[in-house]
Amino acid sequence: MISLAAISAVTVGTLGLGAWGVRFVRTTSDLLVASRSVTAWWNAAAISGEYLSAASFLGIAGLELQLGASALWQSLGFTAGYLALLLFVAAPLRRFGSYTIPDFAEARLRSPRLRPLASAIVMLIGGFYLLPQLKGAGLALQVVTGSPYWVGVVVVAAIVSVNVAIGGMRGITYVQAFQFWVKVFAISVPACVLLIHFGGLPGRAALFGQQLPRAPARGLTVKLPGSQAVQFPAAARITVNGRPLAVAAGAHRTLPGGVPIHLPAGTVVPVADGTIAQTGAHWSRPVGGTHESSPLLVYSLLVATFLGTMGLPHILVRFYTNPDGHAARRTTVRVLSLLGLFYAFPAVYGALGRALTPQLYMTGQTDTVVLTLPKAAWPGTIGTLLSALTAAGAFAAFLSTSSGLLVSLAGTISYDVWPRLRREPPSGVSVRRWRFRIAALGAMVIPALLALLARSIDISILVGWAFAIAASTFCPMFLLGVWWTGLTARGAAAGMLLGASIATAAIFTGLALADAQTSTVGALLAQPALISVPAAFAVMIGVSLWDPVKIDAGAEMLALHAPEGLGLRLAEDELAARPEIASSKPG
Amino acid sequence: MSGTDGDRPPPPLRSPRQELADSTAHGEVYLRRLRHAQLQLSLLALVAFGAVFGVLPLALYLLPRLDHVHLLGVPLAIWIMLVPLWPLFIAIGWLYARRADALDAAFRDLVQK
Repeated sequence: MISLAAISAVTVGTLGLGAWGVRFVRTTSDLLVASRSVTAWWNAAAISGEYLSAASFLGIAGLELQLGASALWQSLGFTAGYLALLLFVAAPLRRFGSYTIPDFAEARLRSPRLRPLASAIVMLIGGFYLLPQLKGAGLALQVVTGSPYWVGVVVVAAIVSVNVAIGGMRGITYVQAFQFWVKVFAISVPACVLLIHFGGLPGRAALFGQQLPRAPARGLTVKLPGSQAVQFPAAARITVNGRPLAVAAGAHRTLPGGVPIHLPAGTVVPVADGTIAQTGAHWSRPVGGTHESSPLLVYSLLVATFLGTMGLPHILVRFYTNPDGHAARRTTVRVLSLLGLFYAFPAVYGALGRALTPQLYMTGQTDTVVLTLPKAAWPGTIGTLLSALTAAGAFAAFLSTSSGLLVSLAGTISYDVWPRLRREPPSGVSVRRWRFRIAALGAMVIPALLALLARSIDISILVGWAFAIAASTFCPMFLLGVWWTGLTARGAAAGMLLGASIATAAIFTGLALADAQTSTVGALLAQPALISVPAAFAVMIGVSLWDPVKIDAGAEMLALHAPEGLGLRLAEDELAARPEIASSKPG
Repeated sequence: MSGTDGDRPPPPLRSPRQELADSTAHGEVYLRRLRHAQLQLSLLALVAFGAVFGVLPLALYLLPRLDHVHLLGVPLAIWIMLVPLWPLFIAIGWLYARRADALDAAFRDLVQK
C-alpha cells in the first residue's frame, strides 16, 4: 500500500508539474528566453533525468544478479556514450540547429528524400526503447500490488500517451531535472541504508567465493507466480506444497505456481531455465565468467552503448535548451558526472540481491531485484518504506523516458509520416496539433503489445538492441556528416539501411534460435553492434566516394563548426520561426 | 593543433570574417583548419579514453589472477569497474571541453582581427 501511494505520488507530481510547467512556459517565454535562463547544471540534470530509464533503474541490477559483474559494463557504456557525444557531436549539432534527427539528415545532406528513411529508423529505435520501459512497468506493478503483468504495461502506456497527447510533460527542463533527483534519491538511499544495516555485503562466499546461492538459515519459502521450469545445480530435498521432493544434482523439474515451495536451510537454490547457476568466483568476473560475458560480447555491448547514445531519438532535442555550442559542451561534461553519481548504486542491489533474495533465481524475475530486495532483506516498516522508495523511483524512470520517447515518436509520425501518406502539402498548426495527439495515442499501441509478448526477455537486453540499432544507423550519419564533407545522401541512406538491416536481422535471428546463444555466433546475434557498426561506416564511406552526385558542404560546415558570436550563422530567431521547429521544441 | 606555416594562406586584403561570410576559398581554408584542429583534438581524447577504458575488458580477461586480489573483501576487478573510471570520464571530458573552447576562441580572435 505504501508503495502504491509512493508510485501515485510520483505520477501525480510529475503530471502536475508538467501541466503547470507547460502553462508557465507557454505564457511567459518561448524556447530561446527559457534556454538563456537555464544553467548548465539544470540542463545536465534534465538530460540525465530523461536518459535514466528502466534499463538503468531496474535492468542493470537485474542483469548483474542474473549474469554477474559483467552487467556493470552496461552502466559504464551508458555513461561513455555521453563522452562520445561530447567529443564528436554535442557542439556541432547544437550549432547546426536541427531539432530532430530527420531534420538533420535532410538539412545536412540537402535531401528531402532522406526524411522517410530517418523517420522509419527513429520509429524503430523508439519502439525498441519503449518496449523495455513498459516491460519494467508491468513487472513493477506486479511486484508492488500483485496485479497481473499486463496491468502495469497498460496503465503506464495509457498514462504516458494520454499525458503526452494533452500536452503535459513536453520535455520541460525543470520537470526532467526533478525526475533525475527523484531517481538518484530513490536508488541511493535504500542502497546505503541496507549496506549500513548489514555492515557491508553479506554472503561473500556466494558473491566472490566458491559457493552457489543457498537458502538462508531460516530456510526459504517461495511461491512462484506460475509454473516454472527450473534446474537444480546440486542435489536437494525440498517440500512442494507440503509434499517432500528429492532431486538429484543437475536435474530439471517443473515446479507448480501458487503453492508454497520450501527449501531447507543451506539448500542450493535452483535456477529458472535460461539462467546459469554460477559460483561466486564466476559470478564476480567482469569478463569471461560465462559465455554471456565473453570478451566479444562485452566489446560489442560497449560499442553499441558508446556510439548508440548519440543516435537515440529523444536525446538530440534536449541539447537545444543550451544557448550555444560552448554551453552544449559544458552541459555534457556535467551529464558525465551526474550519471556517474547514479550508476554507483545499481551494482549494490545486484550484489545484495544475490545474497538476500536468491528466490529471484527460481522465479526468473531478476529484473525486479531493486523493487523486492529492501522488503525481503529487512522485513518490517523500514524495509517496506525503502521498497516504496525504489518503486517510486522506478516509476519516475518509466514516466520520464517513455514520455520523452513518445514525444519524439509522435512528432515524427505527425510531421513526417502522416502528410506523406496522404500526399498533401504542409498543413496548418491546428491540424498538426491534432495529428500529434492522435499519433501520441497510437504510437504506444505496438510497443505495448510487444511488451506483453516480450515478458521473458531481460530489460537490459531489450535496451541493448535499441542502442545497437542507433549505433549502426544514426551514429555513422552524425559522425561522417559532421566531420567529413564527402558524405552524400545516397551514401548515408545506404549505410543506414544496411546497419539497420544487419542489426535487426541479427536480433530476430537470435530470438528465433534461442539455443544458439551459447556460442560466439550467438553472442554476436544477441548484440550485433560489433559487426553492424563497422559495416554501416564502410558502406556509407564507400557509396559516398562512388556517388557521382557530390554536395558542396561549405555552408553546412560553416553552420556546424563556426563558433557563435561572429555574425556568420543563421540568426537564432530565424531558426525559431521555422514551423517544424516550433512544433518539437523543448521548454 | 594548429597548421604549419606552409599551408597558411597569404595575408588577406579582406578580413577573414568577410571571406567566411562570402564563403570564398580563403574562408573555407580558415574553417577547414578549425575543423581539422577540432577533429584532431577529439581523436586525441578518444585515443586517451580508448587506451584505458577500451583495453580494460581485454586486460581483465587476460589476467584472471586479478580475481584473487581482494580489497576490503571485494575483488579488485569490481573496484576497478566501479570507482576509478568515472573520474577518468569526467577528466577527459573536462579537459577536452576546455581545449575545444580554446580552439573556438582562437578562431574567433583570428576572424575578428
